This record gives sequence, C-alpha cells and structure tokens, in this order.
Amino acid sequence: MTHLTRRGVLGTAALLAAPALIRPAFAADTVKLGCLFSSSGTMANLEGRLNHVVRMAADAINGRGGVNGRQIEVLTSDPASDWPLYAQVGRQMLQQEKVAALFGCWTSVSRKSVLPVVEQNDGLLFYPLHFEGDENSKNVVYVNSPPASSVLPAVDYLMGPDGVGAKRFFMIGSDYVWPRTINKQLKGYWKSKGIPESAWREEYVPFGFSNFQTLVNQVRSFASQPGGQAIVVLTVVGSSIPDFLREFANQGISATDVPILGLDMVEADLEGLDTGKLAGHLNCWAYLQAAKGERNQKFLADWAAYVKAKNVPFSADTVIDPMVSAYDSVHLWALAAAKAGSFAVPEVRKAFAGLSFDDPSGYTLTMTGENNYVSRGVFIGSVNEKRGFDVLWQSPNAPKPVPFSPYG
Amino acid sequence: MADPLRALLALCCLALLTVPASAAPLDRAAFAADLCGDGAAQVRGAEGLVQAAGDLAADDLAFAGGLLGALAERRLACPAEGALLLGRPGAPEGRDALTGATRPAAEARAPVLGLRQRAAVETARGTVALLTGPDPAARVAGLAVLERRIATVPAAVLDRARDAETDAALKGTITGLAHAAALSSPDPARRRAAIAAVAASPSGAAQARLAALKGDPAYSADPAFRAALDAGLAQVSRAVAVGDGLAVFYNGLSFASILFMAAAGLAIIFGLMGVINLAQGEFIMLGAYATYGVQEAFRRLAPGLLDLYLLAAVPVAFAAVALVGIAVEALILRHLYRRPLMSLLATWAVSLFLVNLVRVTVGTQNLQFVMPAYVSGGVPLYADFVMTWNRLFAIGFAAATLVLTLLILRRTPLGLDIRAVTQNRDMAACLGLPTRRVDRLAFGLGSGLAGLAGVALCPIYSVNPGMGSGFIADSFMVVVLGGVGSLIGTLVAALGVGGANVLIEPVSGAVAAKVIVLVGIILFLQRRPEGLFAVRRRR
Repeated sequence: MTHLTRRGVLGTAALLAAPALIRPAFAADTVKLGCLFSSSGTMANLEGRLNHVVRMAADAINGRGGVNGRQIEVLTSDPASDWPLYAQVGRQMLQQEKVAALFGCWTSVSRKSVLPVVEQNDGLLFYPLHFEGDENSKNVVYVNSPPASSVLPAVDYLMGPDGVGAKRFFMIGSDYVWPRTINKQLKGYWKSKGIPESAWREEYVPFGFSNFQTLVNQVRSFASQPGGQAIVVLTVVGSSIPDFLREFANQGISATDVPILGLDMVEADLEGLDTGKLAGHLNCWAYLQAAKGERNQKFLADWAAYVKAKNVPFSADTVIDPMVSAYDSVHLWALAAAKAGSFAVPEVRKAFAGLSFDDPSGYTLTMTGENNYVSRGVFIGSVNEKRGFDVLWQSPNAPKPVPFSPYG
Repeated sequence: MADPLRALLALCCLALLTVPASAAPLDRAAFAADLCGDGAAQVRGAEGLVQAAGDLAADDLAFAGGLLGALAERRLACPAEGALLLGRPGAPEGRDALTGATRPAAEARAPVLGLRQRAAVETARGTVALLTGPDPAARVAGLAVLERRIATVPAAVLDRARDAETDAALKGTITGLAHAAALSSPDPARRRAAIAAVAASPSGAAQARLAALKGDPAYSADPAFRAALDAGLAQVSRAVAVGDGLAVFYNGLSFASILFMAAAGLAIIFGLMGVINLAQGEFIMLGAYATYGVQEAFRRLAPGLLDLYLLAAVPVAFAAVALVGIAVEALILRHLYRRPLMSLLATWAVSLFLVNLVRVTVGTQNLQFVMPAYVSGGVPLYADFVMTWNRLFAIGFAAATLVLTLLILRRTPLGLDIRAVTQNRDMAACLGLPTRRVDRLAFGLGSGLAGLAGVALCPIYSVNPGMGSGFIADSFMVVVLGGVGSLIGTLVAALGVGGANVLIEPVSGAVAAKVIVLVGIILFLQRRPEGLFAVRRRR
C-alpha cells in the first residue's frame, strides 16, 4: 500500500514538475520554428517572455497569409536554465521536428553550448541578445549588437562631457564568458585611450550571488580615492542585478555620486525595486521601452493585447530589448524565407544580404552579405522613478556592427 | 586653468564676500529658459543659481526651487515659449512658470536629465532647501546634498544659511562645514582650522581630500601646516579603519543571520528525523509569498496600516508554511522514514512541484514589495560605515527567532519530546512518547521557521519562484558544520561561515571566497565528522 502511494505521489509530482520538453507538433502543411527559451530556473523571468513574443510575431505573419503559402507553427521548449539542455533540445528540434530555424538563448553560455549543434546540423539560430562578440558563425544570426555598437558608445558617453567625465572604473560581473570578455575588451579600450591600469578594478561573483554588502563597500572606498570620477560597469546577470541595485541604494550611494552602467539591466529587472533612489543609473541597448515613434506605440499595444488575449503570465506593460529583438528575428527570417522562396537554410542564408526591417525602436535594421550581423541603433537609458528607463542618448543612425573587437 | 584667470576668479569671490548683499533679482525668464535648454544650458542655469544664491531674495529662491523640483521630477514641460509646471508627469496642461496662466502641454518637450545635469540640479535644489526649507529636517536634507559636493558651493551660501539658522545643532553643523570648505583659503590659520574641521567628520572622501594636500607647497614650507595635516590625516585614517572594521563586523553578522534563518528549520528537521529536506528553500520562498499575500490584504483592507504588514506577516507566514510542512509530512514523508534516500528524492520532487505551482499561479516576475521606512535605506554611523535597515531587521529577526526556538525546545513539553526523540527515538517510543506526532509537529516547526526566514528575506532579496534554490546548499553546509540537530551549533556555524565569507571576499574575490569556505568546511569535517556540536546519543 505504502509502496503504491509513494510511487503515485512521486509520479504525479514529477509530471507536474517537469513539463514536456517540447510541445508536440500536430498540424500538417506548416513550417515549424523552434524556441529555446527557459521558462523555469534562474532565467525564467526574462527568457520566458520571449517564447510569447515569438508566437505573437508568428501569429501576425500567419494573419497575413504566412510565408511562401505555409502557416508558421511555433514549437516552444523549456531548457530550464540548464546550459547543456539547450544543446540537447536544440538537436532534438533540428533533427526530429525539422524546424526551419531556432530562436533562442539568453546567456552566452547557452549560446556557446548550442553553437556546435546548429553547425553540425546546418541549422539556423537567431540570437536576440547583445553579447560579447568575437564570434562569427554562418549558422547563427546575431540579431542584437556586439560590444562595439552597444557597450563602447555607452562607456564613451560616460567618459565624455555629456556624461560624468568618468576616469576610473569598477567592473563587477557574474563569473562567466560574457562579463569576462566584455571587461577584457573594455580594458583594452581604456588602454588605447591612455588610461592607466590603476584606474580600474575587476571583481566577479558566482551566478545567483546576492550578498553584495562587501562589494558595495569596496565600490565606495574605490570611489573616494583620488584620480577622478569613478563609475561601476555592472555585468552581473539574473537576480543578482536587483539585489546589487537594492544594496547600492540602501548604502546611500546615488547615481550622481557613482553611476552604474548596467549592461544587462532591462526594464524587467527593476520590477519590485524602489527606483526613486536609483534614478539616473544607466543601461545601453538597441531598444528601450521609452523609444519614440508610432511603430513602438503599436508594438506596445500589440503586446498588451496579446498578453490579455492569451492570458500570458507576464506583465502587459513591460517590454524589454530582447523581446523586440526576438520579434525582429522572426520577421527577418520570414523576409529572408519569402525572398528565397524556400525554407532551406542555405537558400535563406543567401537571402540575408540586403534585407531590412523597420522595427519598433524607430531604426531600420539592415543586413549585409558580409556576415550574419545586423545593423541596429543604440540607446542609452537612464533609470527613472517609474521603474523604467528614459532615453538619455540615442545614436543618429544604425552603426555597422564590428564582430571582432580590436581591443580584446 | 591659467593663473591670471584663477587670480581673477579669486578676486571676484573676494569682491562678492566684501560687498554687502546687493540682492540683484533673479532673471526668472532667463532661468526658466536655461532649464528648458540643452544639457549645457541646464548646467549653466543650475550652477548660476548656486553661485548667486547667497544674495537672492527669498521669493526668487522659492521660484527657482519650484522649477528645479519640477525638472527633477519630470513635471517641467518646455513648449516653444516659456516653461510649464505640470501637476504630475505627463499631464495634458500646466501652469506657466512666469505668469501662472494655464496652458496646454500637448506639444511641449519634457526634458530628461543627464547625469551631469542631475548633479547640478541636485546641488541647486539642496541650496534652495538649505536656505528656504520650512523646517530643520528639510534644511538638514539640503545640507546633506551640499556636503557631497562641498567644493562647488560658494562660501556666501553657507554664511547666509548659518546666519539665518535658528536650530542650534544645525547651525553648528553648517559652521563646521563652512570651516571645512576653506581648505584652499589663502589664510594659513583658516586652512589649519579647515583641516581640523575635515578631520572631525572622517570618511574615505575626507581622507582623499587631506591626502591631496600633501602635495601642496605649504606642506614642505610651513611646519605648523604640516603638523596640522599629519595629525588630521592620522585621525581620519584611524577613524576610517575603525569604520571599515565595524562594516566587516556588521556584514558578517547580517550574512550570518540570513544563513542562520535559512538553516534553523533544517537543523530541527534533519536532526530529528534524518530527513534531508531539499524543499526547505522552497518553504522559504512560500514564506516570502505569504508575506506578499499579507501585504496585498493590507493594501485592500487597511491601506493606512500598510507599513506594518511585515510584522503582521510573521505569524501568517509561520502558520501557512508550517501547515504546508505538516501536509507534506503526512502525505509523503511518513511513509519513507526507513528509506532516507527516497525521502531525499521525495522532498526534491516537492520542491520542484512547489516552484512550478507558484510559477503557474503567480508568475515568474519579482514581486513588488512596499518597503516601509524601517527596512529601506540606512544611516551613516561612523566614518564610512553605513548601517542598512534591512540587514538590521534581518539580524534582529534572527535573534528573536533564535530565542523563541530555544524557549520552545528547552521550556515546553513539545520541546522536551523533540529533544527526547532526537536523542533516542526507540527509547522515547518505549517510554510512551507518540513519536509519530512529535515528528509531525517538529516538521511543522522546522517548516514554520523556514517561513519566518522568508519574511526576513523579503526586504533584502528579490522574491520570485526560483529564490529558494540559492539557499539550500548554504543551509546544508551550515547544518552539517554545526553538528546535525544542534541549534546552537547551527548558530555558531552560521557565524563562522558568514564571517569567513565576509573576511575572505575583499582579499580574493567572491568566487574564491565560496570555494575557500567550502574547502575549509570539508577539511574540518574530515577531522570531526560529527560537526562542531554533536548531540550526544546512545548508539
């Protein structure tokens, strides 16, 4: 009796706890797209939204008659923020489900683990995050910006007369490839500007780290040393971002004392924080929710309507850059597939050259035949009291992406 | 800067000091136009106001304060002509700053402050608050802003504030600050007084300001100056060292109390039943969600008492999570006591189930908590040591939990039963103790303690369905190190692990600190497998 109960309970718990890895496909005569975004684990709150945005974009395209006469069918999955699982699910989608393209990954670790899979299977991965660059694969479309078109303009802004004339830099990052590579490039960049090595400090914390008291103390003593205005370059990810911001504000350091440049900080990270004391801290992305223009208004309204109609478990009035980038990805793929008149990866890839798409940020994205990088505009945002970002600066046009950093 | 220019500036400043306040009126239209202009104009307007503030009439200051406040709070709209003050950000119409007439704000631009402009506007607002603040608290807040950028504040402002000040304590503070501002005064006596004044309020920044004076020609030329500076520097460095020591102590204590809160319930459950409860982190998460529920209930039913929700959540979170714990025990664990490995897997399943249950019902976003004043911000206590209220709350909470739990374990019949069953289950059963009931109640107590940890963590960490997983490894480390089942051992281990982390972190980084502490614990357990405080039991 006990044996049966135990097995029953465990079985039920396991069923409830682990949703099927891939929601099965059923319709015929459709073209399948696969999503690799976690809806559980540390990245769930951020990545989870992107599944829905991909569906929203696909629905819009289907409403116009689909691509090449076929309706798009979106398969979602849950790699559970477990990096090797991204590769496994990606392989399954490419080999068994025969998806025409994958949309996915947030952290650089997950992208790096999917990379060999898409290369072996000659698949196509659209990666919607800004990232560390130094990578170029014919099987990955880097929809967001490499550091040369996102991080460097923001650091330049802070070092310039419009910013704070920053002279000294405290880098705090999570301990993995993205922060380490970005910081390496930044150090090379500062060296090229003649800034001495004593002007920066570099600290790393484990994933999910939350006890930032000691580090904030160190920031304060670093900032009080002579040598010019200090700033914090923050590359921690996930739940460490709000935890760091809260400690920073609680210790009474304001943005006008030591500004933080949060390179992975999005609108969703400010949920649950009292941003009155954080006003003025900066981020940089290819899209901000506060971007002006009708296209953005329409996108925000579409998302709010979609959340309401489909009962999506995310905030209807928060939109973040990777959501827009994922939306752009689906449209770019659809444009390329329509131009190629085929869903075969080599054909679609050939069609990338010369593609352009007017996205919600107000800029026009363009692709060249040179590589799979996309030209996007750049925004620098400033935290406001309403848990959002004001646009502080935006690039006059969309800079041409530089995949490999000369400063690394 | 060229020397003649500096001399000219100094002359101007002197002239300003000696000429009696001529009270030139503020050009209001030009000021409004500056604040509505580009970044450079905004800085010019705000800095110009600070320079002139020593002589401006009170109503001019009030006018400027209104505009600056509106600019900082995004309530300033800039149409082609003039400036509009809006009632709230984004309002459709506003009051003209100069005439007071109501005009539509539809086509108007709302300027966003860059960092440089923000600093200038903050300083200007601080100046206005210091000079025209209606009560001492407002003036203290203004002074606190000016203190940060004292080098840019003209002496006339501080002099005027000091002369007008009615509050004796504040007057003293302003006088001290005015003294400290004279670090580069040409008068050697004033300079020495300034060094003493700077040294009197020690901080890392004060240390840097004084250290910079070592390169001053007077340091080698004037023995009195050198003596004053050396004494001041020694005083400041001593104070900063003491402040840093206090900060390390406080950080260690607060981290230890978080570890203790997370591990206390586990120690009871593990010690009593030998059940490795992998769902303990999720119980903490449930406690935090219960706190959120209490907050929402307060918001609906008693918005006026909202600030008290954290205290009201204490019994609710305890009871709610204790009930969940008892349900888990009754439904699953009681069948598995003879199979420890299965009970470990079962609690893991429970943890996955709870995470997904919360994820599906509430969503994955970080919960929005109102932070009452007693858990947000902090107070600078000594030198660079800031005591943050949320951590103090956690320390106090952990201490109270410790005392209460000890009382329950040592002074109540239930405690007696729990201790008896922990020490020798079979003997206790022979003596007629209902061991099954004791198990269930103890599991409820342990789970309830996890719920309390959830309450204490709300003001410190982000609350989301995944938050529990971060605690489970740390709490097991603490429980095993402390000696299974010993609450005092858990306390000592938490203090040890927390303190070690805080001490090692600045030296070798947060990643290495975790590894070093873990290796230390492993080595210790090699020598003493039963942990720090082993419960004596008959074998």
